Amino acid sequence: MNRLITPIIMCLVAIAASAQQKADIIVSYEIKSRNWETDTISVKKMTLLANTHESKYFNDLSLWSDSMSSTPEGKKELQQIIMAACMTQTPGGGLSIDLRKGPVKNVYTYVFCNTTDNRLRYYDKFAGELCYYDEPMDEMQWEIRDSTANILGYECIAARTDYHGREWTAWFAPELPLPYGPWKFHGLPGMILKVEAVPGFELTATGIEKTDKTITPMYSPDGYQKVDRKKALVEDEYYMNNREAIIKAKHGDVQFNYNYADRPKYDALKYAPEPDYKNK
Amino acid sequence: MNRLVTYLVFMIVATCAVAQTNVTGMVIDREANEPISGASVIIKGADDKIKKFASTKTDGKFAMSVPTVKGCRLKVTMMGFTKQSIPLDSTVFPLTIYLEPGSIQLKEVAVKADRIREQGDTITYNVSGFAQQQDRSIGDVLKRMPGIDVAKNGKIQYQGEDINKFYIEGSDLLGGKYGIATNGISHDDVGAVEVMENHQPMQILSGIAFSDKAAINLKLKNKAKATWTFHGDAGGGYSWQPDGAIWDGEMFAMAVMPSFQNITTLRTNNTGENLSASSTDFFAGRRQTGLNQYVSVGLPGVPALNEKHTLFNRSLLVSTNSLWKFGKGEFKANIDYSFNRVTADASNITTYFLDYDGRGRRDVSRPYGENRVITENRSGTEHTHSLSGKFIYELNRKTAYINNTLRTHVDWNDVDLTTTGSIPNSQSAKLPDYYVSNNFKMIKRFKGKHLVTFQSVNEWESLPQTLTMNINNPGRDAIYRVRIDGDIFTQHISDHAFYTNESAAYAFNIKGITLSLEGGIKGYLRSMDSQLPDIPGELPGLTENVVNTNYIIVYATPKLEYWVRRVNLSLNLPVSYAHYTFDKAIADHDEVYFSPSLSFNWKPNNRFSGTLRGGLGRSPMNLNLIHPGLIMTNYRILKAGTEQFYNSSSQNLSADVNYKHTRYGLFANGMVIQSWTHVPYTMAQQLYGDYVVYSYADAKNDSKMLMAMGNIGKTLDFMRGSCNINGSFSRNESQLLSQERFVNSVSTGWSIGGKISGSPFRWLSFNYRIGYSDSRLTMNGQSESWLSTMENELNMTFIPHRKWQWTVSGEHYCNELTENKYKNVVMLDTKLTYQLNKRIELAAVLTNILDKRSYNYTTYSELSSFESRRQLRGRQLLLSITLRK
Repeated sequence: MNRLITPIIMCLVAIAASAQQKADIIVSYEIKSRNWETDTISVKKMTLLANTHESKYFNDLSLWSDSMSSTPEGKKELQQIIMAACMTQTPGGGLSIDLRKGPVKNVYTYVFCNTTDNRLRYYDKFAGELCYYDEPMDEMQWEIRDSTANILGYECIAARTDYHGREWTAWFAPELPLPYGPWKFHGLPGMILKVEAVPGFELTATGIEKTDKTITPMYSPDGYQKVDRKKALVEDEYYMNNREAIIKAKHGDVQFNYNYADRPKYDALKYAPEPDYKNK
Repeated sequence: MNRLVTYLVFMIVATCAVAQTNVTGMVIDREANEPISGASVIIKGADDKIKKFASTKTDGKFAMSVPTVKGCRLKVTMMGFTKQSIPLDSTVFPLTIYLEPGSIQLKEVAVKADRIREQGDTITYNVSGFAQQQDRSIGDVLKRMPGIDVAKNGKIQYQGEDINKFYIEGSDLLGGKYGIATNGISHDDVGAVEVMENHQPMQILSGIAFSDKAAINLKLKNKAKATWTFHGDAGGGYSWQPDGAIWDGEMFAMAVMPSFQNITTLRTNNTGENLSASSTDFFAGRRQTGLNQYVSVGLPGVPALNEKHTLFNRSLLVSTNSLWKFGKGEFKANIDYSFNRVTADASNITTYFLDYDGRGRRDVSRPYGENRVITENRSGTEHTHSLSGKFIYELNRKTAYINNTLRTHVDWNDVDLTTTGSIPNSQSAKLPDYYVSNNFKMIKRFKGKHLVTFQSVNEWESLPQTLTMNINNPGRDAIYRVRIDGDIFTQHISDHAFYTNESAAYAFNIKGITLSLEGGIKGYLRSMDSQLPDIPGELPGLTENVVNTNYIIVYATPKLEYWVRRVNLSLNLPVSYAHYTFDKAIADHDEVYFSPSLSFNWKPNNRFSGTLRGGLGRSPMNLNLIHPGLIMTNYRILKAGTEQFYNSSSQNLSADVNYKHTRYGLFANGMVIQSWTHVPYTMAQQLYGDYVVYSYADAKNDSKMLMAMGNIGKTLDFMRGSCNINGSFSRNESQLLSQERFVNSVSTGWSIGGKISGSPFRWLSFNYRIGYSDSRLTMNGQSESWLSTMENELNMTFIPHRKWQWTVSGEHYCNELTENKYKNVVMLDTKLTYQLNKRIELAAVLTNILDKRSYNYTTYSELSSFESRRQLRGRQLLLSITLRK
């Protein structure tokens, strides 16, 4: 009997331990990139939770929204919150819904890095579908440079990488011995506090704190399908260029209140962070 | 050939292999004696540049190769361990490196959710984004949130408008006495402050009746929910003036559970802290019983200084507030008791230069010899007890609303004021007040479009007033005329009133238009009588009154509200018929009143909102003014009412705009009000001997008021701070009949102020405030000079260590007494806090370090000098301990 119980307990402990990984550090980032439709800089805020063995990169609102949606009651409550915030009831019985007013998720990116498994798992929305892919962590190779910078009070050293078709410069802080950073960036002997690339990619840390938050696993992972990165990016480009037609094909005749006919085509070499899918 | 190539390749590889040094080793946790995986291993060259880096594998091992290790160092770092640095010259590989547990100091740069967020009509302020180290209550933090303004008395405004509800976790526990929460709840228990714009507290009316007011909701942190939280504070010390022991204590308990909420607090001090901010009901409307105190005996005050330096008090406040939710309704009980004993001393010395020759020049041969010196030393004590209870049942749903509020309020207010000097006298006033009211309101919705409301309001109040004066003038005075020695006057007033209002309303809503009609009947019974048996002979008229002022009013209020998308237009057309009876004093009156008003609100987007309002109407006079005989207010002032019934008319116009941009943390608002009042009677002032008699005379009195104010607030994110600039202007014009001459008086004033706060460094936070105001009185076109006051206040908190805090604060006042004569006062305070652990905090506070004990000044006019002396609280030292659960 004891022989059976011991492995079970061991198993449970292991599960509990793996499910309840506490982060050591929380970093907030401001992500700037060029919007391909308007060619203007757009800004979003992201968060990184990390400990020695793993990291999780996400958007706060999306995480909250996904955690709510992971249970039926929460999903209902979320809908009510969104409706309360976005719906304006006019006394005549009219309704207007403006989703920009409420806590509506619009960032789908999650990046989980795990150095023990040497695996990076990337979740996002490609061509309107929720997808994920894995990639080995050593795909990103760095070359340390001489220049330094002070970011949030930390002395940072520059490093350079050619990664999936784009050249990036990162600044990392050896004082923070964790090999993670924003987005998919990782593999330097210190936390990456800033990354830049032409044209207009700029990922900058805005805050660092100790934390005891838990690195929770992905909410509702079954909703994501596994894809090949390059194929997904090819499909995504097609989707971006033909979005309205695809929506019309799916949902019947939908009217758009903007003119999409003379919109330029997506220029991957300029706007995509990973333009290597264009190299056939 | 192939052989050659192979050989060459071998050669090269071999040379490389020889030139390369393999740096290998293992990293071990010294305490657990286990290998550490994921540690960062860096080889730094003699130039301190990174040559190679790696991280340890699961078995704690690492391996790198470099051409040479000469002058190189190996640095090993790991979260949770102290770092190691090992010179690599003449080391043997593999290395074994032991790491000691230790923490890596983070230069904590706060990771913040946005300090201000906006979702629909709700603006969320992140409390930790505005809190500073020395803050205690949530009220301290609210003051720094742009867009929110906390007045000196504790009242909260959002964008220049009073808030209409104060919620804790969505429940309205405290009603208008939210000062208990803002002064009591620790900011550390509150996660966020939500402001709900255009808040309609009655759910049944949401989307139907427009509200331009905002409500505040405190979102508590999880640790403060579903449990009791306590904190207590006890302090004792010594004060140099008043000489003796001082104390300051507070106990606060709060429970926020899903179906029960409670806040109970006890506060007491004699350190000059006024507790009235915690016991004032900011939502209390005017009592419809309409009684006013005729007797007014006040303690002398000190102008333009912060109350904490001038209030000589002993105060106690106990308040318990509970809320139970059951079914769909909730029941609330709020019970408060407060006690206040305030003393004040003041002396005025007026010197009349009588030795002038007839042409206004001083006769130098007789300096001061014949000056007339009048001294007046006033010393008074005021005791106030106040006990109030409020019991509410409320059902607040989409289809029905029921509220019954029972309120009782008893006050005992005794004032004793003794004046010694040239006109010695003592006054003692007993001013109890008893008040009971019940308000019932029910709204029901039928078929979505029809609303029916019933309301019943009943109020009763009794306000007896007794004023006893002992005027013991030792002799006869040349300036002050004959007085009877050692006279005791006692004046009794009994005044009570009952008010009832029963109404029903029907509203119909279609396509954004709400039409409603409210009809009802109001009844009012009031009787007042006053006696002052013995009065000085020189006073004219009777000093006895027996007055009944009763009315019955039938009224109807049609209301039209148009509300579509971004525009709200509301028109009110109240019309009423009133029948007044006054016993035998005045003939009965029948009156019709019509007071239309219109308001227009436009909110084109979430950022901007503008409102225009206008109204005009006719209204009856204040019925308290009807009394034919004289009533004594205090030892120098008597008031005679009118024997006439008057109506007044008024018009008003106002505009306000507000703008906000939450992402930039920018809030701005501005407001202009102009009003005109036409009253067919004017206050007249007449001197009889030492007495001033106010009465009313038939004479048109048109007064005008103009007021404008503006406010801009902005977050300063780079230093976790905020700033604010505000300005105001006002002009009041009115008329007074003095000694049978018309006096047109215009008072003009403007003010400008600013404040800035922030925490630029981890070890420093500061708050600075400046206020400047200027005012002038013009009588009959003759302007007196502008008189200004300026106030500066700076406090800085240094945090040299996590457990220590040191606050230094200074205030500077510059008050202009007469033209270009300024009185400057500087006050310095300091506070040292030591945090023993999470639960216990010790503090020492030293206030008024410079030990300024009086606020004295002298002003001169051509024929007299006036010297004023006021006492201030002297230096005081308070040691206190704070406990938290």
